[in-house]
Amino acid sequence: MKRSGVWASLLALGFATGAAGIALGQDSLPAPSPIEKTLAERATHVTEVTLDKNMLAFASKFMDADKDDGGKEDKDDKAVKDMIRNLKGVYVREYEFDKEHSYTAEELEGLRKYFESADWSPMVHERTKGVAEGTDVFVKLVNGQMQGLFVLDAEAKELSLVLILGPLDIDKISKLGGNFGIPKDAVKKAQKEAGK
Amino acid sequence: MRQTEKNATAWSMVLVPLGIAAIMTPAIMLAASGSGQGFDSVVNSIESRYHAHATKIPFMWLVSGIAGVATHGGVRGLHVAEFDDFKGDGDGVDGAEFNALIEKHVGSGWQRMVRETTRKTAGGGGGEQSLIYVRAEGSHVGMLVVDLDGHELDVVQMSMNPDQLMHEVSKHRHHQDKPDDSGSPDGSDNSNGSDNKPAGESE
Repeated sequence: MKRSGVWASLLALGFATGAAGIALGQDSLPAPSPIEKTLAERATHVTEVTLDKNMLAFASKFMDADKDDGGKEDKDDKAVKDMIRNLKGVYVREYEFDKEHSYTAEELEGLRKYFESADWSPMVHERTKGVAEGTDVFVKLVNGQMQGLFVLDAEAKELSLVLILGPLDIDKISKLGGNFGIPKDAVKKAQKEAGK
Repeated sequence: MRQTEKNATAWSMVLVPLGIAAIMTPAIMLAASGSGQGFDSVVNSIESRYHAHATKIPFMWLVSGIAGVATHGGVRGLHVAEFDDFKGDGDGVDGAEFNALIEKHVGSGWQRMVRETTRKTAGGGGGEQSLIYVRAEGSHVGMLVVDLDGHELDVVQMSMNPDQLMHEVSKHRHHQDKPDDSGSPDGSDNSNGSDNKPAGESE
């Protein structure tokens, strides 16, 4: 009886650890996809920015430096900084190519696949006819609150991936553009579509 | 005679392990102290892989000390190594291999925040690699930058206190923005007062 109790406890502990791992895994930044490696090999210019929660807290402190108003922090700036402090991670990949369409539709599909799960909802699905170009925006909604944003912006000579994890305020996400390697256009596009 | 042999064997049984321990201790202590990681390890690995020689700035400890005083502890622990006329493998470096080399020697605790790569073009342009690593160091943040721009490679490590640094920046900005009508003859401001110290700053 005692032995079975020990086994049951171990089993419960195993399940709990596994569940915690899954829960953590859902909020952690993804491991780079093999597609990203092949894209990087073809690109002439690659920018990779990976910021976890701790690094975001550190980086947010330097956001004051970009302000033009003599360092005075208004309510809006404070709210943006608070939002950044609560983020769980930022993952940005930008690839620039010397030739047009150096990526395939299959590669774009592969990059989107990670977000085609129950947690993520497609918000924007924009395509250019005849070529593998377009914009995709996915959002992660938990109890009606935005907990993540993924933007895949494919242009003729440029491909950008932006993944932001954590509680997000749609009115303030455009302020993230230009910071932490996040392209301004990518978040502006997402904000514009969300406002519709 | 047999007694002498026995004594010699006994001594050798004691001396051999002692000798091994004496040889191994510095290596173990060096490994445990972590000096085989970070700035020195990265610089040494580049030197040995690419047969290049780094120029270290003389009196860097003095510069580092002055920076620490000037920024009130905002910046400290400056280390700089320059590789002039860095040729890599003759025609530059393999970006992936270079990145893996730094990743291997930077050590645990350091996280890569930024990697920027520009491939060398047929016209001879590009060939740039920028890597920025950070690590938490209490109230400070360690930053290690490896920047390869053509034939110039720089490795810089420093420790920063973001709160103190931003406090210093805003102080100078405030000083610049202020119209030149202050009563202070030396132009100094009094924003260094304790009421302006950033929250949580104990230095």
